[in-house]
Amino acid sequence: MAVDGNQAKLEALVAPYLADALSLARWISGDRTDAEDIVQDACLRAFRGLAGYHGGSARAWVLTIVRNTAYSWLGKNRVPMLVAVDDLDPKSHEEVERGGNSFGSPPNTPEAEMIAKADAGRLEAAIAALPDEFRETLVLRDIQGLEYREISQVMATPVGTVMSRLARARRRLIETIGNGSL
Amino acid sequence: MSGTKRPLSNDPALLVHAYLDNELDPPNALAVARQIDADPALAAEARRIDALRSVLRDRLPPEPISPQLRKRIDAAIGPSRHASRLSAQPSWGALAASVVVAMALASGSTWLAVNPASNNKVRVAVVDSHIRALMAPQPADVASSDRHTVKPWFNGRIAGSPRVVELATDGFPLIGGRVDVVGTTPVPTLVYGRRKHLISLTAVQDGAGADAPAAQSINGYNLLGWRDDQTTYWAVSDLNAAELETFAQKFRAAP
Repeated sequence: MAVDGNQAKLEALVAPYLADALSLARWISGDRTDAEDIVQDACLRAFRGLAGYHGGSARAWVLTIVRNTAYSWLGKNRVPMLVAVDDLDPKSHEEVERGGNSFGSPPNTPEAEMIAKADAGRLEAAIAALPDEFRETLVLRDIQGLEYREISQVMATPVGTVMSRLARARRRLIETIGNGSL
Repeated sequence: MSGTKRPLSNDPALLVHAYLDNELDPPNALAVARQIDADPALAAEARRIDALRSVLRDRLPPEPISPQLRKRIDAAIGPSRHASRLSAQPSWGALAASVVVAMALASGSTWLAVNPASNNKVRVAVVDSHIRALMAPQPADVASSDRHTVKPWFNGRIAGSPRVVELATDGFPLIGGRVDVVGTTPVPTLVYGRRKHLISLTAVQDGAGADAPAAQSINGYNLLGWRDDQTTYWAVSDLNAAELETFAQKFRAAP
């Protein structure tokens, strides 16, 4: 009966977030087929790791497993050069990790109306072009609707860093839309 | 609300994000709101950020998982691959079909197969009611953001009294209530707002025997169901599935 209980528990914990899981895996891997493999692996890991769930946000727990699975999957199945490219210079990187903000004067500031008209293809391309950590933070917040605390849990990073990454990611998207370069 | 205790930052350019994301406690939120009012540049940035948030949610909703992936997961978790641990256990799919577990299922129509037909009538009825309400001059018959006005309004109109909670602080203001009809039974429906979207939340008293609701999309409207004791709740909206799920979580979590 214990295993029966485990299956029901897994169903309750994981099933509502499978679509979120697939979405996150796709945003991390950049590939739908890979994302499905990652989600399947993650479900197995979740099943084996059920004992590690001690309440709290089930969605954050599930997405943490998906994220970890995605990175180990990419490490195994992709050439290293494609993983974790960060285009920030070291000074900016440190600033972001501190939870700071040094935007300077924004070069491209489109009107809100122009942003509202951006189509899905342009948005996807702009998000895909973000550094990994910015992209994940933005996806978790603005597409999947996680709270900062949940993102902090999934990405194992302080809330201040989440805030800083999110602000930067959004700023870059706004500038990309303003550039009209896509 | 996460970062309410710790001083995350004093930088308005950062705080405006946390403000728009409802991540600030009331005193800090008020302070940022005042800064936005006083600073046209900050106000313009807030409008841009808000436009970006909306456009991302509306244009890039998470896709539902395919039945094929669902089958693969069932197979992976099921007995064949983990015979030593799960030899006598049914797969998820078999478990769901036989017990019809009363749990919220994944979004999309993928899981519809495990739901018997009885709920389909309810689904269609609540979506129809929602569409009718959108076409009517007012989506609610009693218009109020005060639950102490909305809840008593149902007295005498339906049997029992629905659970009414205020979720304005979570970004889902209560707009009012109305009585819908499912089959031949009058049922209470609450109306909540989210930006320019409306959410109809219908409560159906159907005892313990009902099957498990699931999330799905009908005629372009997202539908999310869940059970709470003797009641099945149905939330319908043109809002994206992720935010509708957030709404459901907030409603369930509200005192």
